[in-house]
Amino acid sequence: MINTLGYYCLAITVLVAAFELLVSLAAVRFGSSQVRRTARRGLYLMAGLLTVSSACLMHAFVTSDFSLSYVARYTERALPLGYKLAAFWAGQEGSLLLWAWLLGVMAALFAFLQRRDQTVENDAAQGTLAAVTGFFAALMLFAANPFEPAVQIAGDGMGLNPMLQDPWMISHPPTLFIGYAGFTVPFALAVGALIARRTDEKWTSLARPWVMFSWLFLGIGILLGAKWAYVELGWGGYWAWDPVENASLLPWLTGTALLHSLVGQRGQGMFKRWNLALAIATFLLCIFGTYITRSGVVASVHTFGKSLVGTFFAVFLLIGVLTSLALFFWRFGAFKADRPLDGLLNREGMLLAGNVLLVLMTAITLVLTMWPAFSGTIDGKEATVPPRVFNKMVLPFALLLVAIMATGPLLSSVGQDAIRKLLRGLTIPLATAIVVCGGLWAMEIRSVWALAAAAAATAVVSAILADLCLCVWTRHGQSGENLLVAAVRVIDGNHRRYGAHIVHAGIALIVIGVAGSSIYGTESKVSLKPGESVDVNRYTLTLHSIDSRRAENYGAAIARVTMLDRASGAIRELQPQHRTYDKGGQTMSEVAIRSNWREDLYVTVLGADDDGSVAFRVIVSPLVSWIWTGGLVLTVGAVFGLLPRFLPLRAVAPAAEPAQPTKPVRIAMAR
Amino acid sequence: MNRTAIKLLIGGVILVGAVSYLAWAGMKEGWATYHLSVDAFLKDTQHHGQRVRLFGKVAEEGLASNPGRLSASFVLLGESGRVNVAYKGVVPDLFKAGAEVVVEGTLDKQGTFQSDVLMTKCASKYDSKEHPQNGGK
Repeated sequence: MINTLGYYCLAITVLVAAFELLVSLAAVRFGSSQVRRTARRGLYLMAGLLTVSSACLMHAFVTSDFSLSYVARYTERALPLGYKLAAFWAGQEGSLLLWAWLLGVMAALFAFLQRRDQTVENDAAQGTLAAVTGFFAALMLFAANPFEPAVQIAGDGMGLNPMLQDPWMISHPPTLFIGYAGFTVPFALAVGALIARRTDEKWTSLARPWVMFSWLFLGIGILLGAKWAYVELGWGGYWAWDPVENASLLPWLTGTALLHSLVGQRGQGMFKRWNLALAIATFLLCIFGTYITRSGVVASVHTFGKSLVGTFFAVFLLIGVLTSLALFFWRFGAFKADRPLDGLLNREGMLLAGNVLLVLMTAITLVLTMWPAFSGTIDGKEATVPPRVFNKMVLPFALLLVAIMATGPLLSSVGQDAIRKLLRGLTIPLATAIVVCGGLWAMEIRSVWALAAAAAATAVVSAILADLCLCVWTRHGQSGENLLVAAVRVIDGNHRRYGAHIVHAGIALIVIGVAGSSIYGTESKVSLKPGESVDVNRYTLTLHSIDSRRAENYGAAIARVTMLDRASGAIRELQPQHRTYDKGGQTMSEVAIRSNWREDLYVTVLGADDDGSVAFRVIVSPLVSWIWTGGLVLTVGAVFGLLPRFLPLRAVAPAAEPAQPTKPVRIAMAR
Repeated sequence: MNRTAIKLLIGGVILVGAVSYLAWAGMKEGWATYHLSVDAFLKDTQHHGQRVRLFGKVAEEGLASNPGRLSASFVLLGESGRVNVAYKGVVPDLFKAGAEVVVEGTLDKQGTFQSDVLMTKCASKYDSKEHPQNGGK
């Protein structure tokens, strides 16, 4: 009964979406406020219907209703409640419903926020949102129905794949989907601006919070996925350039570029075409990524299997690309920059250079990811590109980008004296980078990549700190406030600027973590009998016993291993496990990790032998925790950048902040 | 204005050059790893000595996996051909005779395929065995 309701809600959503498209067209054509109200209500209705539909599916999961094929395939009675709820997005159909629901809610929120905006661009944007949401509803209706009844009702379901039974995995997909769904709004705004020929800042200032928000969620989603791979998959890595991972990285890269070129349009009227192209590309890459992972066109660790869904996405993608290209070139002439670029050595020049690099990285990753599909058509033989090729092709540009990140924010928009200013601004970052590299050299670190990464990351952080100190000192001198008050006032006075700086610092931490762990990680395989010890690097590992334990839906053999850190004398018990799940007899290794700021000790059970010895994989991976810390810092920065000012503005004498953009700061933007 | 265009052009040329160099370096090192069936591999000698991925079935006889499951030697079967495989690394849980596997490595002079990557194909077998009513979707 409830399942039927859920299904019908989806069907009605498709009808409403079709109706909504017509109404939006009518609104664009006639512009009556009556029609516009109807259009807005249509979006609210779609959000409501999708919410009811999602609630129905959630209900089926909570009550273990195995009359639904989807519920039976992804849960079992013994599954803990949290995982039952998370199973909602464990498979194809449910994850599409989640995406559609998020889209519906965001479209409704957008319509609500813009309810007083009686313009053509708003009508077009709402029509676009309705079309995309409608596509997802239709997709479920015709190709991946979450309410598909089971052919034969089983007493118990098949259970959730053990690899997905992990807290990181619960949070990873929804976070990612929030990002994907969110990037539809900037796309819709871009389409609106193109149709209505609004070449001013209106669409970019509306898009900015949505881009920031979606970019943040997509980024966190990627990091959560990396964390999941790290703690669950047992090979000690967090990124393997798998098509699924690349699929989420591609829109993140273009989204990053968009975030930066938005800065250039603001006040300067530059990068107008860049912004349009990037907003469109980011959305299309979200769809494209989903297409490659769900169509089976490129083999990956976790594809969803070949299905009609792939065809749907391919057709949608084709329509999206052709329509966007047509719109873009139709209005190409109108969206000319207000003023040309003065040169590369100013803020806009650096933004441009950074964006070119980001787009280049996107293109390279895209080609390498799709290589198996290309090579299949070229010589009929399937081939994959190994991760080392990705590293070699993408990482040099990433490092260059970090170097730009260190210099870019030091520059101002006005190009006079650029070189002198740049050199003056770079003195401190360069000096600290050289000192740090010297220190690392003394510590026997000789890898060019490690030194380059350390130099670039140090330069980023020290440039930020130097700039902040200078601003605080100037304000302190001009206003007479004490240093702490001056610091708070300076930082609170420009959330965008300091939010961006904090995000950059987070990225610098991630760069350090990635460099340290990928260049200096060591792996060894050891075999121990109870009572035996082995030395690995600075640690002594002793196996005490193997215990067994029973949990709700699996049995586990737990190896009790004591770790002694010979350098510090710290002792810790580690409990790597080997689990056998009841359903399907699947086995899984649970990793034990001892983590600190210096390095991670990562122990996995590989298997037991007849003579009672147990084989372990022991990985020592330096600086991994810096990646997760960097992710936290980045989140703090992005949230700070979105928040409005905390304290009322108190002006001091002008020219307080040297490297500031020349435009006065607007507070209202952050909302 | 004109000088800017020149600067941009120079920047573009440098970038294109860098990408081309990297692509060339990648190509030289063997850009991609080919995926071949045992039969296709045996027929096509150009891939002998190259690093490739082979897929096939693990034969019943000649299967030996050693203490701690840290290496294995076995025969990989195609439709008609067969290749001896020596694998060093962790043996996956689902590896057994009759399993469909993918190995990555190179053929040595003695005609043994030396591999350091072993994957059991299609872990989603999970769906079908126990609950045939839902198999195949």
